[in-house]
Amino acid sequence: MNLVILTLIIIFSFSCYLFGKSKILNTSRVSGKKFHSLPEYYGYYLAAWCGLPALIILFFWSFSELFLVKIFILADFKTDPLLDENKLNLIFSEIRAIAEKKFTGTIPESLIPYSEKFLSINRILELSKLVVILSVIIFSLTFAYSQILKNIRARESVEKVIRVVMFSCAAIAVFTTLGIVLSLLFESIKFFTSVSIFDFITGINWAPGRAFVRDASVQTADVENVFGAVPLFWGTFFIAMIAMSVAVPIGLFSGIYMAEYSSRKFRKIIKPLIEILAGIPTVVYGFFAALTVGPFFRIIGENLGLDVSSESALAAGVVMGIMIIPYVSSLTDDVINAVPKSLREGSLAIGATKSETIKKVVLPAALPGIVGSILLAISRAIGETMIVVMAAGLAANLTINPLEASTTITTQIVTILIGDQSFNNPKTQAAFALGITLFFFTLIINIIALNIVKKFREKYE
Amino acid sequence: MNNDKIKISTRNLNVYYGAKQALFNINLDLMEKKVTALIGPSGCGKSTFIRCLNRMNDVIDICKVDGSIKVDGSEINEKNVDVNKIRERIGMVFQKPNPFPKSIYDNIAYGPRIHGLAESQNVLDEIVENSLKKSALWEEVKDRLNQPGTSLSGGQQQRLCIARAISINPEVILMDEPCSALDPIATAKIEELIDELKKSYTIVIVTHSMSQAARVSQNTGFFHLGKLMEFNLTEKIFKNPDNKMTQDYITGRFG
Amino acid sequence: MNNIKKEALLKKRYNAEKRFKLYGILSIFLAIAFLFILIFNIFSKGSGAFLKTEILLNINFDQKKLGLNNNSSEKEIREASFDEILKDALLALAPSAPELKQAELVDIVSIDAELEIKKFFLNNRDILNKSYEVSLTLSDDLDQVYKGNFPRDIPEDRRRFSDFQLKIYDELVSKNKIVSKLNWSFLTNADSREPELAGVASSLVGSFFTLFVCLLLSFPLGILAAIYLEEFAPKNKITEIIEVNVNNLAAVPSIVFGLLGLGVFLNYFYLPRSTPLVGGMVLALMTLPRIIIPCRAALKAVPPSIREGALALGASKVQTVMHNVVPLAMPGTLSGTIIGLSQALGETAPLLLIGMVAFINVVPSTPLDPSAVLPVQVYLWSESAERGFVEKTSATIIILIFFLIIMNSFAIYLRNKFEKKWS
Repeated sequence: MNLVILTLIIIFSFSCYLFGKSKILNTSRVSGKKFHSLPEYYGYYLAAWCGLPALIILFFWSFSELFLVKIFILADFKTDPLLDENKLNLIFSEIRAIAEKKFTGTIPESLIPYSEKFLSINRILELSKLVVILSVIIFSLTFAYSQILKNIRARESVEKVIRVVMFSCAAIAVFTTLGIVLSLLFESIKFFTSVSIFDFITGINWAPGRAFVRDASVQTADVENVFGAVPLFWGTFFIAMIAMSVAVPIGLFSGIYMAEYSSRKFRKIIKPLIEILAGIPTVVYGFFAALTVGPFFRIIGENLGLDVSSESALAAGVVMGIMIIPYVSSLTDDVINAVPKSLREGSLAIGATKSETIKKVVLPAALPGIVGSILLAISRAIGETMIVVMAAGLAANLTINPLEASTTITTQIVTILIGDQSFNNPKTQAAFALGITLFFFTLIINIIALNIVKKFREKYE
Repeated sequence: MNNDKIKISTRNLNVYYGAKQALFNINLDLMEKKVTALIGPSGCGKSTFIRCLNRMNDVIDICKVDGSIKVDGSEINEKNVDVNKIRERIGMVFQKPNPFPKSIYDNIAYGPRIHGLAESQNVLDEIVENSLKKSALWEEVKDRLNQPGTSLSGGQQQRLCIARAISINPEVILMDEPCSALDPIATAKIEELIDELKKSYTIVIVTHSMSQAARVSQNTGFFHLGKLMEFNLTEKIFKNPDNKMTQDYITGRFG
Repeated sequence: MNNIKKEALLKKRYNAEKRFKLYGILSIFLAIAFLFILIFNIFSKGSGAFLKTEILLNINFDQKKLGLNNNSSEKEIREASFDEILKDALLALAPSAPELKQAELVDIVSIDAELEIKKFFLNNRDILNKSYEVSLTLSDDLDQVYKGNFPRDIPEDRRRFSDFQLKIYDELVSKNKIVSKLNWSFLTNADSREPELAGVASSLVGSFFTLFVCLLLSFPLGILAAIYLEEFAPKNKITEIIEVNVNNLAAVPSIVFGLLGLGVFLNYFYLPRSTPLVGGMVLALMTLPRIIIPCRAALKAVPPSIREGALALGASKVQTVMHNVVPLAMPGTLSGTIIGLSQALGETAPLLLIGMVAFINVVPSTPLDPSAVLPVQVYLWSESAERGFVEKTSATIIILIFFLIIMNSFAIYLRNKFEKKWS
C-alpha cells in the first residue's frame, strides 16, 4: 500500500512539474505576460506543493499506524487488572501474527475475533490514509495553482523549500543522537527501577542469566546481586589496554617513520597498505583471533607450561591492537606533517640528529595531536564488538591475568540481545543500561579527543 | 681586500634543485670575525648559498650541491663529513623566529644538552645565562625562564633563537634574513646585537634590505639569478660598485 | 670537554639515531606482516571452499524400485524416492560389509545426494532401467580429508569418520572415482546445516538489499545535509549543535546503532525483524556522518572564485551551489559515499541486535524478507563446530573482501581520475 501511494505521489509530482512549466510557457507566449521566474521554477513549485505535504503525512502515518491499531485492539484488554504491560504486548503480537498468518502453533480461539478486528482496523486505516493523502494533494495543488497565476516569485519559494529540506536532512544527525539517548535512557531507567544504580556500578558479580530463572517471589532479592557490572568495565578496559599496548608503539613508530624518514614513494605505497588493516571488517579479525591467534597462544603457553584458555583477553586484545594500528599511524603521520618545517630546521641547525630532533622538538610539538589520535583509538577499542564477542569469551572474570577469558560491555550486550528477547525483563534492560554506559564513555573520550585535535590544528594551520 | 684570515671559502659551488640550477660557480671567501652581508633580489640564491655552508640543504631531497666548501681549510661538502659536527661549529638563525615549543630555558639548553657541553646543572645554568646575556635578552626574561619560548614577542623570539645558536659556542653564525619578520625597533636591536657578536663570531647575514647591509656588514656580496655578481668591501659596493648591475640594484632600478 | 669523550658521545648519539630508525622500520614491517599473515591465513583456509569433492557412483535406475515408468509425469518423478537405488549403489561399494557398517557406507555421500540423482534423472529421462555413473557430492568430512584439512592419523574415536569409511574412500580414490570440481553451489545455495551444501546466496542477496536500502537513504540525506552545513548554514548555535552531533556520531560505536534499531525501529515502530529494510535503516544512520564529512571536505575544496563567478552573473545562492559547486564536488562526494558503504558492508554488530542472525535457508526476494548478510554469515559459521564450516567461513570472508576491494578501488579511481587539484 505504501509503495502504491509513494508511486502515486511521485507520478503526480512529476506531472505537476510538467504541467506547471508548460502552463507558464503557454501563458507567457499567448498573453505576452512576463513572469518573475523561469518556467521551470513554477513547475518545481507545483511539484513541491503536490509532493511534500503528502510525503510528510505518509511518513508519519505509516510510522504510527501500528501504534494506533495497538491502542484500538488493546482497549478491550486494558480493563483486566491482571494484565501488565508485558502481557499486553505479548497478546498484541499474537493477534498480529494470527492476522498476518504467521502464527506458529495452535491458534487460541479467543484471539481470532481480535485478529479479524485487527485486519479491519488496518484496512480502514489504509483506506483513510489514501483518502487523506489524496485530498491533501488536491487542496495544496489548488492553492499552489492559484498562487502561480498570481505570478508569485516562484524561484524564491522553491529555494526556500530546498533550504528547509536540506536543513531537515542535517537535523537528522541531531535526531539520531536524541533517538540513541532516549531509547537507551528509556530502557535503562526501567532497569534502574528494579536494580539499584549503585549495585550496577559497584557490584562485582555479573550473571544476568540467573535473573531469568527465578520465580517472581525471590526475584527482587536476587536480581540485585547478579547485575554488578564492574567485571565488564574491567574487562573492557583491560582488553582495550592490551590492544593499545600493541597499537601505540607500532602505530607511533610507523607514523614517525612515514612522516620523517621514508621517501615519498615508499610512503605512498606503505600508508594505504597499512590502512587496509582498518578497512578489513571486524568480524574477519574476530574469526582470525578465535581460530588462529587464540589456539596459537595456547600452544605457545602449553610449551611454556602456562595455562592459556583458548578464549583469552590476550588474543582478543592483540588482534584488536593490530586492527587499530592504522588509526594511530595515519593520524600520527598527519599530525607530524602539520608541525612546521622551521622547527625541524632550527633543531637540525644546532647539530641535532634527526632522531633527537624528532624526540625533543617534533614530538612535543605534535603531542596534543598524537594524544587526540590515541584517545580516538581507545574509544574505538572500547566500542569494538565482534573481536571480543568471538575471541574474548563470556566469563565475567575480575582478573588481571591476560591468559584467562574475559568479557566486555559490548560482548554482554550482544550475548543478551542476540536472538529473541522479551522486553520488560531486567536482563534485556541491562543490555540497554550497558549500552548507555558505553555510549557515554565513548562520547566523553571522543569529545575530549576531537577538541584536542581541533586546538592542535588551529595552532599550526 | 685586506689581510684578514679566511674562515670559509667556496670554490666552483653549483647547486641544483632537481633539473633546475640555483647557483652557478660561486667563489667566495668569508673573513673571520667580520660580518658579511649577502644582498640581491628575491630568488637570487643568497639563502640557498648560506644553507650550503652548514649543509642544511641536505634536508631537501632534490637538492644537489657540487663544488668545494672549506672551513678553516678543510673540506665540508663531502658525504663522509659529519654534518652534525659542522652544524655545531656553524650555527644558523632563520627568517622566521622558530623557538621550540619548550620553556625559554630549555630552548637555550637544548643544544648544550645534545652536544654534552654541560656536565652539571650549574654549568648549564651558566651557559644559558651567558647566551641570553650575549643576545641581550637576559634582562627581559631572567624572571620567567620557565615560560614557553613562544610567549615572547617576535623580536624577543628572534633574539632567543640567536641565543640558542650561540649556546653551543659556534665559530660562525649564519643569519637568513633575521629581521624580515620584525618591526623597526626589534630590527634595530638585532642589528646592535650583530655588531656586538662580530667580536667573537664570524657572521654571514642574508638580507633584502640594502640599508641593513650597509649598516652592519664589512663585506658585501651581490647575487643575481644564481650568480655572484660582485663581492667587495661594503663601503666600496655601496659607493662605487664595479658592476653595472650592482649599481642598478643599489640605486633601486630593479629588485 | 676533551675530544675522546666527545667522540664517544657522538658515537652514542649516532647509535641512538640508528636504533630509532630501526624501530620505525620494524614497526612498519610488523604492520605489513600482520596484514599479509591475516590475508594468507584466510586465503589458505578458504580457497578450498571454491572446490567441491564429488564421488562418481554407478547407479542403476531400476524401474521397479523407483516405481516409475517411461510415461511418468514430472510431478511423479519429483515425488518418487530415489533413496533405495542410492543405497544400493553405495552398498555395492562393499558388498560383503556387515550390516553394522552399512550405515557408514550411506554416510559417504551428502544428505542431498538423493536430490542430485533425481535432478540428474529429470534431465536424462531415457536412462530408466539403465546403469549410469552419476557425480554426487561427498560428505563434508571426507571432503575435508580429500582437501587435506583433516589429519588422518588421529585415533578413530576422535575423528568424524571411521576407518571403514576411510578404507572405502581410499579404494575410490585409487579407482579415480573421487573428483574435484568448481563449487558453483557455494554461490547459488542458501545456508544449510550441512557444510558441503551450505552456500552464500542468501546472505549475498541479503547484503545487496541491505546496502541498497542504506544507499537509498544515506546518500540523498547525507549529500543534502553536507551541502546545507557547508554552503547555507548560518553561523549560529543550531548549526554548531548539528556539527558537533555529526562529528560525534561518526565515532559512536556501531553496536549503539544496533541498540537504537532494536529499541526504536523494532520495539517501538514494529518494523519487521531480521529484514534488510531495518538493517539498511540502521546502517544508513551509521553511514550518514561518514558521508557528510567527506562530502563537506569535497565542497570545501571547491575554490570560492567559482562561487563568486556565478554569483556575479546574478545567479541565486541555491543556483550557484547546485549548478556550479556541487557538480565539481561530486567525485569526492561519491568516493566518500562508496567508502562509507563499504564500511557498512562489513558491519556486523548492529545487525546481530536487530535479529539478522536467524538461520535463513531460502534466498530472500525482497528487502522485507528475513535474511542474513555476508559478515553475519561469517559470524554464524564461525560458531559452528563442523570443520567444513571453517573453510566456508574463510571463503565467505574472501568474497566479502573481494567486494570491499572492488568498492574501494572504484572510490580511489574516482578520486584520482576526476578530482581536480585546486591550487
